Amino acid sequence: MTNSIAELEGADVLLVTGSNTTETHPQIGRNIITAVDHGAKLIVIDPRKTDIAKEAHIHLALRPGTDIALINAMMRIILDENLADDLFISMRTENFIALRDYLHRLDLDELATITGINRTTIHEAACLYARSSKSVICYCLGVTQHTCGTDNVQAVANLAMLTGNVEKKHSGVDPLRGQNNVQGACDMAALPAVLSGYQNLADIDVRNRFLAVWGREVPKAPGLSLTEMTHAGINGTIKAMFIMGENPVLSDPHLNRVENTLKHLPFLAVSDIFLTETAKLAHVVFPAASFAEKSGTVTNSERRVQLCHQAIPPIRNCKPDSEIIMQLGRRLNCPGMDFDTEAEIMEEISLLTPIYGGMHYDRLAKNWGLQWPCWNRDHPGTKFLHKYYFARGKGCFTITEHQEPYENPEKKYPFTLVTGRGSYHHYHTATMTRKSRRLLREYPEALLEINKEDSDKLNLRDGETVELASRRGTVHIKTKITDRVQPGTVFSSFHFFEVPINLLTLDAMDPKSKCPELKICSVNLRKVKHD
Amino acid sequence: MPDIMTICNYCGCGCGVYLRVEQNRVVGSYPSKNHPISRGNLCSKGWHLHEFIHSAERLTEPLLRKDGELRPVSWDEALDYTASALTETKEKFGTNAIGVLASAKCTNEENYLLQKLTRIGLGTNNIDHCARL
Amino acid sequence: MIDLKELILSKDNLIPLLRKLKKDARLIAPIKNEYGDTLFSEIDDIDAMKIDLHNQPQASLKPFFLPQQETLAGYTVNNGEYSFTPPDKAQDTIFFGVRSCDLTALLYMDLIFSKPSKDATYYDRRNHSLIITLGCNQPFANCFCEATGSGPYLEYGYGLQFIDLGDRYFVSAGRGKGADLLKKWAYFFREVNEEDQKKRYQLFLEARGQFTRNIQVAHACQKLQEEAVPEEIWETLSRRCYDCGGCAYVCPTCTCYSIDDMAQGTNHGIRVRSWDACTSSGFTRMAGGHNPTDRSRYALKRRFLHKLKHDYAHHGKPSCTGCGRCVDICFGGVDITTFIDLLTTQKTT
Repeated sequence: MTNSIAELEGADVLLVTGSNTTETHPQIGRNIITAVDHGAKLIVIDPRKTDIAKEAHIHLALRPGTDIALINAMMRIILDENLADDLFISMRTENFIALRDYLHRLDLDELATITGINRTTIHEAACLYARSSKSVICYCLGVTQHTCGTDNVQAVANLAMLTGNVEKKHSGVDPLRGQNNVQGACDMAALPAVLSGYQNLADIDVRNRFLAVWGREVPKAPGLSLTEMTHAGINGTIKAMFIMGENPVLSDPHLNRVENTLKHLPFLAVSDIFLTETAKLAHVVFPAASFAEKSGTVTNSERRVQLCHQAIPPIRNCKPDSEIIMQLGRRLNCPGMDFDTEAEIMEEISLLTPIYGGMHYDRLAKNWGLQWPCWNRDHPGTKFLHKYYFARGKGCFTITEHQEPYENPEKKYPFTLVTGRGSYHHYHTATMTRKSRRLLREYPEALLEINKEDSDKLNLRDGETVELASRRGTVHIKTKITDRVQPGTVFSSFHFFEVPINLLTLDAMDPKSKCPELKICSVNLRKVKHD
Repeated sequence: MPDIMTICNYCGCGCGVYLRVEQNRVVGSYPSKNHPISRGNLCSKGWHLHEFIHSAERLTEPLLRKDGELRPVSWDEALDYTASALTETKEKFGTNAIGVLASAKCTNEENYLLQKLTRIGLGTNNIDHCARL
Repeated sequence: MIDLKELILSKDNLIPLLRKLKKDARLIAPIKNEYGDTLFSEIDDIDAMKIDLHNQPQASLKPFFLPQQETLAGYTVNNGEYSFTPPDKAQDTIFFGVRSCDLTALLYMDLIFSKPSKDATYYDRRNHSLIITLGCNQPFANCFCEATGSGPYLEYGYGLQFIDLGDRYFVSAGRGKGADLLKKWAYFFREVNEEDQKKRYQLFLEARGQFTRNIQVAHACQKLQEEAVPEEIWETLSRRCYDCGGCAYVCPTCTCYSIDDMAQGTNHGIRVRSWDACTSSGFTRMAGGHNPTDRSRYALKRRFLHKLKHDYAHHGKPSCTGCGRCVDICFGGVDITTFIDLLTTQKTT
């Protein structure tokens, strides 16, 4: 997020796109609801009528995968209505003329048809967003999990820059990060093409700095992304894997391919707290300590690095992952694998990572941590990003064009399947939430949301099991008839191993972010006949 | 024993949660009122955060596949086996034949250590995690 | 002979008195911790820990009497023979700095856990407890105990009640343990004079006028006895209930719980009682899948009606004690005060 979570309450207009905020980020949802109760206007872009969409003043229920067309239409309207922030555009951005000319060539009626939303509603939303100087955009995986995910994000950024709704308090573009430390894992460079703090892997000064501290040269060639590794197949280049605390056999798209790859690996080691579907395929499984049994820091969605304190010693024969990694590292003769405390590891992180430069344990212990960038010991941390300058200097407008999803409904597969986190009570592959009796009780099994119009056509009753099939696989799943989804669209989650919904999903991905198109694939459903 | 402050292990909001500990068991979780995110309340997952910690299904011993089955072994055996399997892969297929997945559920320190091990211990940039899922 | 029902304690003598009390029992008081949260905590070192009597303790006494999760029994099976281990016995505990609303809530829980028979673990803890309350001269931001008849000062129920008169406390003793305590430590106290009485009365009147929120609890209770709640009110509230359960968990009088048997190995397990909430759909769902409560419309109906309608009918008092803890923490902004406001501002047709 470029803003802090608390700032959302002070916004005048909130545009939430591709985020089921009240279920997946409850506390951020709370800020948005409070803002609404204090008089802010809420625009929600989502094909589903989620709980947050029910609170919206304008709900833009677009056809899945048409975000760019919608945002381009909004920008065109903003230009036509003279609502663009000319001063901001001239001072802080570049390449505006190209975008303007492109937008002027577009036909608004055509764009509206693509999105399935009428022109008047788009017009209303565009003006509402542009007329406020405290407009904030929150987006989540509904924007990024598309083959055009990077362009979707660029379109959102264009919209914000066009109206000058960046660089200040209560206004900006805020990606909501999913897992408790997905931000931190990225910051720490658990990524194939950067070094910690998003430093350039090819930069000679950066490389020398790491060489000096690590005592060994970092490999030059960027590595493979998650899907490239897990989808390599039987004869892929990857021959051995170490997986720490992840469950790709349930979470990744096109599961048959993932399972096929991992099953045939000559060597797979997994470190986890439970025997996950992935761990079951491993040659070696390490029993890891849970979050309550270790200390360390995690970084939340607003870039806040916070301390977690150990509550109990590791149970039975478990060890924290840091201990497992260091013991393995020493056996592999890896230098610098002999830290005594987490604080000592953080000292090395701050030494090598400019944005974490001032993150020291004694400081993190006070004031609920620090938000990066925090350049040095005296730096107070950063509540909102892009103040005075964008990371790359001036903000660059980039033209984005609508492209159809990889798969569109057709005769054999007439429905669009949207996937996501489907329940407030479960998290991701539910490795942890299913072990909680209360959470499991509240949402005990996988459900497929389907509109009444469709269920009537198929002669389905609520709770009836259907066979759901895509070109890649088939699952059996119970239906839930609801007006949350539009006719022609069905929705489910990937929480339950009994219904591995990712058997169906696509591994077509965004060429730049490598983010798979988990939000859209074409499926067919058929009543299951009972004997 | 006073309750221990930690950060919720579920979503990216990052609530401040107290864990209530009795005789080395975590028996409760409740929000911090003063914490800027939790502000006195948690979602349903947060209020039940302690419930999976002492699940009988927790992994408690290192496991090694022998004759097709995962069997409990000592830490040394599991780690030695892993180290030699990784070394062998490196020698036979090159460093880029090894892939590593880190975790958005683990700490910064653990992710940092794992990418360091991957980059200079195993000699590859093949490291990623589920950021896009 | 001085009257042992009402005495004056100089503030200088508070710590010396508490130090003595701590010798015979566990002492629990509101402590402001390093994170700025004020929580009821056990006092190990009375000189090092800062007792905070200026902020409302974040949680009520509920977790001490009905813990979030407690082991009711352990069981082991050997050759088909079951053996049980009882839970740990309660320790003598003195709670200091308890506000009127929280004691009122405890008195309500006494009632709940006394029928049909006395709940063993609850009453074990309760019988080993002594409550020293502190009357509220200045209500906290979200409080409305005056409207629920549970404050700012109390008439009964306490072991001792302290009222802050500035440089001294006006101390009243309840029956039993409280009076014994005063007798035992009489040398810390002096007699009450007329000025003390006047000042106490004056502060009481002032406190009653200091509430920032005007919540029409009595009106709401009355109205609920007479007529049904309009459907649109339930629907408005349900749409905004995001099912966190927080209101029930922080509530000092919400006593819903569930009991689970949890295996701890092949021949050993524990029976655990943990907090539950009537607002969640799994609470009312029956084994066959039918659910008598439609969450999409009536998520909060059971909770609000229990507090304001049924308990009012049974006990003549609502079981909301106006502590205000559920106010401002609701993810959808639909706490009990929202309900009361909606109900009482509704025009009667």
